[in-house]
Amino acid sequence: MATTIHPQPPQPSFLKATFAVTGKDLSAEFRSRELFSAMLVFSLLVILIFNFALELDIATRQSVTAGVLWVTFAFAGTLGLNRSMAVEKDRGCLDGLLLAPVDRAAIYFGKVISNLVFMLIVEAIVLPVYSFLYNVNLFNAGLLLVILLGSIGYLAVGTLLASMAVQARTRDVLLPILLFPVAVPVLIAAVKASEGFLAGSDFSSIYSPLSLLIGYDVIFIAVAYMVFDYVVEE
Amino acid sequence: MFPLDAPPDTSAYMIAGYGVFFIIAAIYLVSLFVRWRNIDRDMTALESIEKESKSIPPKKASPARRKGAGRKNAARKR
Amino acid sequence: MQPKPLALKILDIGSLLVLAVATYLALVYAPEEAVMGQVQRVFYFHIGTAWTGLLGFLFAAGLGIVYLVKKDLKWDIAEVAAVEISAVFFFITIILGSIWARPIWNTWWTWDPRLTTAAITELIYVAYFMLRQGIEDPDRRARFGAVYTLIGGVSAPITFLAIRLFRTIHPVVIGSGDPNAQGTFAMTPHMLVAFFFGLFAFTIIFIDLFWNRIRMGQLAAKVEQLKLNLMH
Repeated sequence: MATTIHPQPPQPSFLKATFAVTGKDLSAEFRSRELFSAMLVFSLLVILIFNFALELDIATRQSVTAGVLWVTFAFAGTLGLNRSMAVEKDRGCLDGLLLAPVDRAAIYFGKVISNLVFMLIVEAIVLPVYSFLYNVNLFNAGLLLVILLGSIGYLAVGTLLASMAVQARTRDVLLPILLFPVAVPVLIAAVKASEGFLAGSDFSSIYSPLSLLIGYDVIFIAVAYMVFDYVVEE
Repeated sequence: MFPLDAPPDTSAYMIAGYGVFFIIAAIYLVSLFVRWRNIDRDMTALESIEKESKSIPPKKASPARRKGAGRKNAARKR
Repeated sequence: MQPKPLALKILDIGSLLVLAVATYLALVYAPEEAVMGQVQRVFYFHIGTAWTGLLGFLFAAGLGIVYLVKKDLKWDIAEVAAVEISAVFFFITIILGSIWARPIWNTWWTWDPRLTTAAITELIYVAYFMLRQGIEDPDRRARFGAVYTLIGGVSAPITFLAIRLFRTIHPVVIGSGDPNAQGTFAMTPHMLVAFFFGLFAFTIIFIDLFWNRIRMGQLAAKVEQLKLNLMH
């Protein structure tokens, strides 16, 4: 009935809505920079702590670099995910977003992309710092590809779980507990593939972790796309 | 026949295994029972509260009783 | 709450009986294994709980999907029941496996694909209960629970693949030889009887506990509803 009186405005296209959500997040973050600086300082501190915890001398460095990097990214990623969703929830932006006449999956993808941008920026700073501090050359096209794929998989699940966690009473502690056990495969595959590229092993040994990484990304993006509606439904 | 052929004596581990199994099973059953009892207790408590809250409105309104009383009074007056 | 149905009472008694028979078959009827000795008997209950636990998790993911489609809380109650019982069974599996591994592999624990996947799967379902605990609204709790069981059900097999790939390239040698290969044995017919009866017994026990737990869930849902009614 109401639609006949007030004809609905035409729905913006899916891509346009997705990038609108991303753009909103990026411009808000560009002004405050609180999320980004927290993630960055946190990751640098984690690397520092690993230095003392693992006695990163030259021999151990070779074998643990991939592991240290991924643990750092995972922790920083959790921090960012928690914060980016909590901000939406506290300021009531999430309700506003949900009222907008767009496909809700567009909101999900918009959040994934903005989280991905933050994480990639942090990684882009952490990598040179790590290579500088430990004298390891990390500039390797394969490694960068693995970092991109791993971050996508981690954030695809993470964004979905973070939007559940912020609606719970124990939200700050809940996200890592929900996320880590289901993100284990992506972390394993990413560490394995990074190790392979860093050691310069031939492609046949890197092929299987890399394909697992791509498989994980595809499967979890598809699952999250299907269930995101149920997570934000009122 | 030869001591080498005899299987190693691992019965302590077997006993431990089955002991742990039955202990965990018992703990789970007890937890089910305790939770069930607590829910049951809540249920009876809530039901009695609901009954009380339902018995209040008729007291407040109780038009039937008042009417009846009024009729009685009227009868007396007559 | 209506009184316990007769069928459930019969099932209760029946599951106690099959548990007793399964214990007898595992401890007395099956012959002693020649290489591992008595501890091999733990295997019958280990496999029984492992199978029912794993199937229970898959079943719970299925119930979660049904809930998301139908939006009827009775499916959620069934899902919680399935996850809870499977989590208990799976915990028993891990403990029994660890007790078996101590004399056979000479260690309580090894980061073998199966063990690691089992531990991570158990953690996923512990997280499931923590998620549910933090949410007050029954419908939202049910939706999130269903989504998380679905994600857990998808992730656990991928974890298994991932760890297998990791370990075949970096084999961890504990004791002597590949831990996966140690402790295999051929089953005699009597062992097979104990083995299959164990599977059957734990399936019956699972169904019995599942039914009882659903009844408890229904009662709990009623109590919650009454509380909400009284508050408003």
